[in-house]
Parts: sequence; C-alpha cells; structure tokens
Amino acid sequence: MTSNASSSSFSDEDEESAGQKPKTGSIDYSPDAIENQLPSIALNTSIDEEKVSVADDHHEPVTEIARGSSREIEPERLISSTGESNLSTETGVWRNSSKVEVDGATSSPCSSGYAGEMGTSSGTASTSGADDIQELRNNSSSVGNDGEVLHSAQWVPGKRHVDEDDTCMSWRERKKHFFVLSHSGKPIFSRYGNEHKLAGFSATLQAIISFVKDGGDRIHLIRAGKHQVVFLVKGPIYLVCISCTEEPYESLRGQLELLYGQMVLILTESVSRYFEKNPKFDMTPLLGGTDAVFSSLFHAFSWNPASFLHAYTCLPLPCATRQAAAAILQDVSDSGVIYSMLMCKYKVVSLVGAQKAPLHPDDMLLLANFVMTSESFSPICLPRYNAMAFLHAYVHYFDDDTYLVLLTSNSDAFFHLKDCRIQIENVLVKSNVLSDIQRSLLEGGMRVENLPLYPSTRYGSLFHNEPSDRSQESLQPGIGGPDGLWHFIYRSMNLDQYVSSKFSSPITTHQHQKRLYRAYQKLYASMHDKETGPHKTQFKRDGNYVLLCWVTTDFELYAAFDPLADKGSAIRICNRVCQWVKDVENEIFLLGGGSTFAW
Amino acid sequence: MGCSSSLPDRSVGRVGGLNPDGGDSDAKNLRVKLVLLGDSGVGKSCIVLRFVRGQFDPTSKVTVGASFLSQTIALQDSTTVKFEIWDTAGQERYAALAPLYYRGAAVGVIVYDITNPDSFHKAQYWVKELQKHGSPDIVLALVGNKADLQEKREVSVQDGIEYAEKNGMFFIETSAKTADNINQLFEEIAKRLPRPSAS
Ligand SMILES: Nc1nc2c(ncn2[C@@H]2O[C@H](COP(=O)(O)OP(=O)(O)OP(=O)(O)O)[C@@H](O)[C@H]2O)c(=O)[nH]1
Ligand SMILES: [Mg+2]
Repeated sequence: MTSNASSSSFSDEDEESAGQKPKTGSIDYSPDAIENQLPSIALNTSIDEEKVSVADDHHEPVTEIARGSSREIEPERLISSTGESNLSTETGVWRNSSKVEVDGATSSPCSSGYAGEMGTSSGTASTSGADDIQELRNNSSSVGNDGEVLHSAQWVPGKRHVDEDDTCMSWRERKKHFFVLSHSGKPIFSRYGNEHKLAGFSATLQAIISFVKDGGDRIHLIRAGKHQVVFLVKGPIYLVCISCTEEPYESLRGQLELLYGQMVLILTESVSRYFEKNPKFDMTPLLGGTDAVFSSLFHAFSWNPASFLHAYTCLPLPCATRQAAAAILQDVSDSGVIYSMLMCKYKVVSLVGAQKAPLHPDDMLLLANFVMTSESFSPICLPRYNAMAFLHAYVHYFDDDTYLVLLTSNSDAFFHLKDCRIQIENVLVKSNVLSDIQRSLLEGGMRVENLPLYPSTRYGSLFHNEPSDRSQESLQPGIGGPDGLWHFIYRSMNLDQYVSSKFSSPITTHQHQKRLYRAYQKLYASMHDKETGPHKTQFKRDGNYVLLCWVTTDFELYAAFDPLADKGSAIRICNRVCQWVKDVENEIFLLGGGSTFAW
Repeated sequence: MGCSSSLPDRSVGRVGGLNPDGGDSDAKNLRVKLVLLGDSGVGKSCIVLRFVRGQFDPTSKVTVGASFLSQTIALQDSTTVKFEIWDTAGQERYAALAPLYYRGAAVGVIVYDITNPDSFHKAQYWVKELQKHGSPDIVLALVGNKADLQEKREVSVQDGIEYAEKNGMFFIETSAKTADNINQLFEEIAKRLPRPSAS
C-alpha cells in the first residue's frame, strides 16, 4: 500500500513462493493460520501500522471493501461484511498476532499421490518446483527487449507443488493462493497442492462463506496481518484468493472473476445445474488436464496488463498489412463464422466479427490463454458472449506464434472452416502478412528511446527502418527515453485497446517488469476507486519510479519515469507520448473499418 | 497443445498435400477418416505425432476437444491411403462430444495404457460405444500403448488379445516413445480397409 511496503514485497522472489521467509514469522500469516484464527479475530484488534504510512501525494484507499447490510457475527465476531458497523471502513485491517498451532490430527506427510490420481496427463508435474528458479533465471536473459514476450516464452506452464496440502509449511508460505470450491465445501480447484487433500481447508472456507450468506449477507474480504482473503460467489461456485502480495482488493477480485471466466470458457456456466441435482457433485474430474491453462492465467496476472485493464493489445503492423489481413478475414467471416481472429501470441493482428457485438477483451484474454493444438476443433464458451452455450473454435497455428481462431456455433463446420483457413493462409502468404508479423515480433513496437520530441512527419510510422536504434540502446544501458521516461501504457477507451511501450533499460529484468506491472495495477485501482471517485491525474514518486497517470474520457495514460524525474518535464513528455500514439495509431490499434465492424 | 509442436504440418514420405476437398477416394487412392479414442494420458496424441511427424514429445499436453492431422501411406500394392486423423481428448468433459468426431469414421483406434488397468476398462467402454453408434462397417483396432514400460505392465498381452478377438478387432501393442509398432499399426489398418473396388 505504501511505497516502502511495496518495495519490500518485490524482493527477488516470485509470488509463487515466499522462499526464505523465516519460518517463525510466517506462521501467523499463513492461510492455515487464518483458518485457525478466524474464530478469534476480534474487532478491537489494533490497526495495522502498515496502512498508516500512505504515500504522500496520493491517497490509496485502504478501506475495507466489504459491502452489504450491517450484520454482526457473534460470538466469533469474525468477518463481518458490513460497511457501516463498528468496524469502520477506515480501520479495516485486522491484526492477527497470536500464535497458531498446526492441527496435528490432520497432519499427514506430503505424499506424491497426485500424479497418479490425475493420470499421466499431469506430466507437467515434472516441472514442479522449477518455476521459482526459472523466473529468477529469466532475469539475466531479457535484456532491452520486449521482456514480457521473452519471459513468457520461457515460462513453463503447469501446476506447481502438487504434493502439498495445508499441513505443509511450504504450502502455507505461498504468497498467493487461489481456491475454487463448491457450495457444499467440496474442493474444485487449488492453485497449489492436491485438491483432494485440501478437503478440510475447503470445508472451512465454505463454512465462513455460508455463515455470512445464511445471514443474508455477502463476504468480500478479510484482512489478517499481511494477508487478504478475497471471496467471490458465483452461484454454487465459490472462489477464494488468499494473498500477501499487497495487490489491491479490486485487482484480486478482478483476478477471481477471470479465474471464474476461464472455468466457464472450459465448461460453460451450465455446470451449476449439476449442483442443483446433487449438491455433493464433484467437479474436479471435469477440469481434468487444465492445470496448464490455469497456471498460465495466474502467470498472466503478473505480467499481462490486459488482466487488469480489461482491454486488448494489437501487434504493431504497417497499416497495409493489417488491412490485408482484415480483408481476407472479412471475406470468410460471411459464411457462418461468428468471430475470426488472427493472433500472434496474446496480441491481435486482426479481428472480424459477423455480429454487432464486439468480442469482449476479457474473452479474448481467456481464449488466448486457453492452449490448443496446431490444428484443432474444440468446444469453448465465451463467458461475456454467452456463458451458457458452447461455441466451436477452429484453431490453426501458422507458426509457433501466429494462429487463426474461427468461432462458429455449428459443430459440423470443421471442414468448412479448414477450407476458410486454407484460403486465408494463401492470402496471408501472398501478401507477406506472416513475414511482417515475424518482423514486428522482432523489432516492432514503441520504444521510449524513439519518442519524437518535436512534431515531425518523419515519425508518422513505426516501420521506417532506423537501424541504429537497437544497437544504440544496448550500448547505453540505463538511459531509457527522454527526460527519464522508462515505460508507458496507453489505453484507448473507445477502442477497448491498449498499447504498451517495449521494455527497455533499465526495466530489463523480469523482477523490474513485474514490479512496474504491480505499480501500474495499483495505480489503476486507485484511479478507478469508486469511493474516492475517479481521479483525473495522479503524480506519485517513490523509491522506484515517478508514476504519472492521466485519465480522460478518451484515454488513460500510465507512465513510469526515473525516480528523479522532474514533474514539469514528465507532464510534457506525457503529452508527447499521447501525440506519438495518435501519429501511429493506425499501426498500433485496430481501428474500426467503418461499415464492416463497428467498435 | 497436443504432442504436436505448433509447427506447420509437414512430413516425410507423405503422398499428396493436405487437401480436404480432394474427396476422390478411388480404388488406388483411399481417403479414410480415422478416430482415436481412449482415456486421457494413454498416449493418443503421441501415437499420432509419431506416425505423422516421426517425433516423440515426452511433455505432451492434454488435448482439448480434438485435433486434426493427416498422413498418407503407400502400401506394397501401390495403393495409397490417406488417413484423416481425429485425435480426440480423453478428458471426461469431452466424452459427450465424441460422436462429433467419430461420426462417419471408417476406422476407430481405441487406445489404452498397458500400465493402467482403468484405461483398459475405459477402452472397453469405447469399443461398445463404437459398436453401437459408429459406422456399421467400421474397422476397429485395440492398441495397448506404452509397451516400453514392461516393468510397470498391469494389463497382460493375453487380456488385450482376448478382448480384441471377442470383439472382432485388430490388436497391437505399441510404444510411441520408441516408435515400436507405430507404423505397423497404421499399415495393418490400411490392409483391413474395405476396398471400394466395385463402386
Ligand atoms: N513411456 C511412454 N510414455 C508415453 C508413451 N506414449 C505417451 N507417453 C506419455 O504419456 C503422456 C500422455 O501422452 P498423450 O499422447 O498426451 O496422451 P493422450 O492420450 O493424447 O491424452 P489426452 O489428450 O488427454 O486424451 C505423455 O506424458 C507422454 O510422454 C509411450 O509409448 N511410452
Ligand atoms: Mg491427446
């Protein structure tokens, strides 16, 4: 919440593990501790000191985001979700300082029964434990390039630490847990550990949620020491995040929404009817083999701005290239295709919809996150399009990065869509779209070093070859852009799209990138805070950056500068960035082609 | 992602291109739809990848829905058979969608893992399903995969043979890992295909 607090949370460790946190100190804050302590959390506990030191020039809301009618829970007086009870919104941080005993009765050694239970399909378990190291290793490798792309390519999806359960110290020290459980308390999914072994823990979460629910109220958030426990109830499905990452409540809740969306994408919302028939229904088998999908979603929560901006981003391309792609997608989309998307990793090359309803950016994120085969035809559900029904997705990879997705409601359309794809492919090859995509991947994008300082026609395009740029950048580390500009994200409100500059020095390591990501995330939450009202601008200086945010009805700009940057020149630079974005907008955004596709 | 890397489809020894509208199955050039069914993790995608691209990916990912691959083989009698292969997902949630993929299939390849008796039971379920709802003249093959894991074997060869015989199926044990019997599997299937000589 404060600059110092956040800097401490961005130590070398990844969120996955609190690593070398001393065991003694960590016990209090473990989820298990919360579980054990919930009954004894008293309302009169002291206000956490952490929240007092709010950054000077910006008021981050530290309020308890618990809404609903006033309701006291006696005698435990635990998680009241009230906004107006004696637990004022201001003092929403509850301290949990007493020692916790591990319930010896339930403790069992962490065995490795998981892999067997889940079948050989969980072969990804072999990467178990490698992620933390993996992430650290990346630090040295991504220099001056589009670090996000680099490191996401190296990151290996798959469930980690599958052998753990809530009796394991290592499990309790994980910085961010995600759980999904049913209203009867059956575990459905856990980010870490074995769902089946977490039945007791899951039942506890269920008890908490139901207790509040039975009183006609809803629980949103519990704070206990450094931990936030965020709840989201979706019919018979309960989602819980337990985190000590200091991300804002709104961000964590948004992540739970996306987690739910990902489940809906795989199963549709109609799974809830199973619970109507049988409250004890076990949903885990229905999610079999999806560990990689969820782990890559959690990973996206720490690097993909789309996950909190709710906007998508395009691969920068010369205008003519994108038009060529759009034209051919448009041609085929008249034949029963609901949406056609040409994608490069998580970036859009072109997107055409036969219907008026634009594809929701969250649906695009979830779809791009859902891994598919080189050529496949699979049922998927777009939660924001129709959460109750499956569409069929024809997916074809042209190369490792570039793929086509054609969505239809017709389950017999495979061969038709395959024909469409062949047509599309022919055009893409002939008009060099695929090679332009590869070129853009390597050298495209907005680099802060290239920010034009004076209006000039020379900068009307990102695709004039300026061969000196790249070498210059690697020769002069620590420079960044003019006046200490390090990075920016520009989000266009009416396009639902954002563009972010490429990471360049000094934001070159994965840690730096993740820290900046978290800073933006926090800034975003504070700019959109409902209680303090939307802000227009914010200037925030801390030990790591100067952050400048500017929100208008047309756009939002988030920019990071050298911590010593001057406020006046930072504002000037932001204006230049906006101008630059305008100058090259037809290369970085997908602009509505008028009649064909109304955005 | 199945076993397949996301590389463009390319293979050695393939006859003809990837062209679905060349619907011209004649006596010399057969074009057949083949569906692979079986529990998740038994190695369906690995078998296909081995057959189509000659590769084995030990980190193979769970298949989603179904993926489509094709491969053409030439037989001794100078006929060619183009297999259009539906590699289906073995995960439970896709079971209800199986008819989408096996409808009209001329060949059903049902795979189990010789180290996993449950997968053998699941295979029997698929055999029954195809006998009931598949094409009437479907050629069925029962495949015991992961034959390289002899020391972990839990389904005997005899059990496989007996079940296959009872149900008029062709039986073979394979290893996608070592490539053992993979080509043989498809060649034997090709030989058993009904030839459209009369029509
Ligand atoms: N030892 C051994 N392992 C194999 C063999 N074939 C596949 N595997 C392993 O079995 C696991 C699953 O293989 P897949 O081909 O993905 O399984 P699948 O049947 O396609 O599974 P679904 O797509 O979920 O239906 C992978 O980890 C492979 O490495 C084999 O012949 N021998
Ligand atoms: Mg598979």
